Amino acid sequence: MEIFETSLPGIGVRYEFDTEDDRRIGVLVHRDGHRDVLVYSADDVDSCSETLRLSSAESASLVELLGGTKITERLSDLRYAVQGLSIDWVSLNGNAPLVGKTIGDGKIRTMSGASVVAVLRSGDSYPGPGPEFALMENDTALVVGSVEGVALARKIIAG
Amino acid sequence: MQIDIALLELGAIMIALAAVGRVALKFGLPPVPFYLVTGLFFGNGGLVPVEEATSFIDVGSSLGVIFLLFMLGLEYTPSELRQSLNANRLSHVVDLVANALPGFVIGLILGWGALGATMLAGITYISSSGVVAKLLVDLGRLGNRETPGILSTLVVEDLVMAVFLPVVAVLLAGDSVITGVISGVIALVIVMVVIALPTRAGHRASKMIDTESGEILLISLLGIALVVAGVAEYFHVSYAIGAFLVGIILSGQVAERARTLLEPLRDSFSALFFVSFGLSVDPAVLLDVLPIAAILGVLGAITKFSSGYWAARHAGSTPRGARRAGATLIPRGEFSIVLAGIAIAGGVDPELGPITVAYVLLLAVGGSLAAKYMA
Repeated sequence: MEIFETSLPGIGVRYEFDTEDDRRIGVLVHRDGHRDVLVYSADDVDSCSETLRLSSAESASLVELLGGTKITERLSDLRYAVQGLSIDWVSLNGNAPLVGKTIGDGKIRTMSGASVVAVLRSGDSYPGPGPEFALMENDTALVVGSVEGVALARKIIAG
Repeated sequence: MQIDIALLELGAIMIALAAVGRVALKFGLPPVPFYLVTGLFFGNGGLVPVEEATSFIDVGSSLGVIFLLFMLGLEYTPSELRQSLNANRLSHVVDLVANALPGFVIGLILGWGALGATMLAGITYISSSGVVAKLLVDLGRLGNRETPGILSTLVVEDLVMAVFLPVVAVLLAGDSVITGVISGVIALVIVMVVIALPTRAGHRASKMIDTESGEILLISLLGIALVVAGVAEYFHVSYAIGAFLVGIILSGQVAERARTLLEPLRDSFSALFFVSFGLSVDPAVLLDVLPIAAILGVLGAITKFSSGYWAARHAGSTPRGARRAGATLIPRGEFSIVLAGIAIAGGVDPELGPITVAYVLLLAVGGSLAAKYMA
């Protein structure tokens, strides 16, 4: 399957591909993080018959319903390889205690032994964030550690 | 300035703008032409001439231009500009020649000389990024195959202006052709440097002014934009372009927050700018120049539709998509008005003002309707 990527100056990035039934669907990632799901019309392939606006949280839920991302699949392979390893996505809503604070401020590693190994922010990923990395509202942190450690880290990050 | 009268006048203008804005919204039309018409009512020869608030409106309208262009710059990143410039070069040239030529020729026929004609050429050339981008969102066409081409046309047109404006600004200031060429070269170099700027440099500059507090960030942004605009104006490089380039350099998180912070300021002051331009136009003269504006409008619609159609076909759209692309690019707006303002301040025939108002009125409204109903 080939995914086409097009940059839309001033708006964001558009991804699209053709399904086996010869329909075209796409996702438009806006700069502010919200997404449009694009369903192209069957009789005019150049235009959309349906454009569905989703917030970043809603798109995350949709992804979960659709069966996870490729990253998640790869991570679950990893989980089988290391006994007792727990991997979790922690999303920060506006009230999360670590919004506006750095990872170091949360003393996550010291308290829980778990680590934040990546942060996703409006479509960009920041792998291996250092202790000085500041978290923001709507970030998603990828936490790795023991089962209890990850649970504690989630509490520290998201409350 | 009598403060009570000035406040009343400003308030009355704002209420009138709010009222016409609602009408525009109802019909899904861009508000800019309606703001211009509102200005006609309050201006010289209008129904209720404004007197006390004029000095505030003058400064406010300059701020409006700065915010408009600053936000326009914020919309683009240097890498997007590079991509747009490199793709479909031929269609950008076709767009420039086809749409500037009618303005230039008619400017010469009207006897405005080469400089006046060049200004009119710029006015007929440039599509309204604001109106067109809004149309694409409102009509749900961001996913369409022809949309990237439309957006890259807008980007390149705005960039052309970044070089065009400094050159004509110097020439209008009465300096010699040689100084005009020099400032053109300087403008070109600055624009190229800004575009070639690696993403990291933009991030670093943005990080320097970043702060947790939205209030402080807003004030920092205002300070920087105004200082750069002032310096640019001092060197006759047009303050609008200074603000535009600062906007392009800022990136990442700061740009994202700046867009949210500055939007209300841009909306209020740019409305003031359009009103103020309307104020300067005598409605009676507007009627006199209507035939010329109508000719320009019809030509402008035809040339823009054709160049847009051709570019989209060239890029592989179906005829239907290409018709949409051509129609969507027709609206002219804020930049044409900015150009006319600079031209008149520089001594080009004042008839350019009413002609541009009528031209923008015809094409912003007509173009929006064409985008909606064609194809």
